[in-house]
Amino acid sequence: MSTLHVLSHSPFSDSRLSSCLRLLTPGDGLLLCGDAVYALQGGTAQRAALELMPETIALLALAEDLHARGLVQLPERLQLLDYPGFVASSIAFDKVNTWL
Amino acid sequence: MKFAIALFSPPHAPSSRRALRFAEAVLAGGHEIVRLFLYQDAVQHASAALVLPQDETDGARQWQTFISDNQLDAVVCIAAALRRGVLNDEEAARHDKPATVQSRAWTLSGLGQLHEANQLADRLICFGGP
Repeated sequence: MSTLHVLSHSPFSDSRLSSCLRLLTPGDGLLLCGDAVYALQGGTAQRAALELMPETIALLALAEDLHARGLVQLPERLQLLDYPGFVASSIAFDKVNTWL
Repeated sequence: MKFAIALFSPPHAPSSRRALRFAEAVLAGGHEIVRLFLYQDAVQHASAALVLPQDETDGARQWQTFISDNQLDAVVCIAAALRRGVLNDEEAARHDKPATVQSRAWTLSGLGQLHEANQLADRLICFGGP
């Protein structure tokens, strides 16, 4: 059963991202929105951890949150979503788990 | 596809705006929202007494308009609402409080409504935090 994990907290202020990374299994997805997109900032341990995820785990981010924070030089595997894409992804995975 | 959407954050949180944009996209995509549910600090969305500066986005009002326009089933956790002063006429009378501030767009009910929504829907999507 595939799960889309949704993070919105900054990965520099708590351990949600690292806890989530430990739980991901093949077929799951990780959607970064809000301040969680800072995990994609170059040269950080968080970015390195995301790049080390197996290819069987989808890496997604909400495009408007990325653009609002001016993040560039993104990983090739990253899928950018608009809101219709967010809805489509929530259907594509069997369930959605938001890290509140 | 049937969606249930639960919101945990107050109207000024970015996650409230994100939830509204998501809900709009759900309906625009031809899907159904079986219920919206407000819990914890999100119950502030159901207050009709919020006054914001004119140059700020009024998230609570946007939600109320969205619900009215689409005639959605929109429920507030009653326990979370009462402790934050969001009362309807009945609760204001019951607890001898002077004011009713609950918006007509939302209905006070119990946490069981969230559980039921989860059973009725294909997906439960939660929004909270920042």
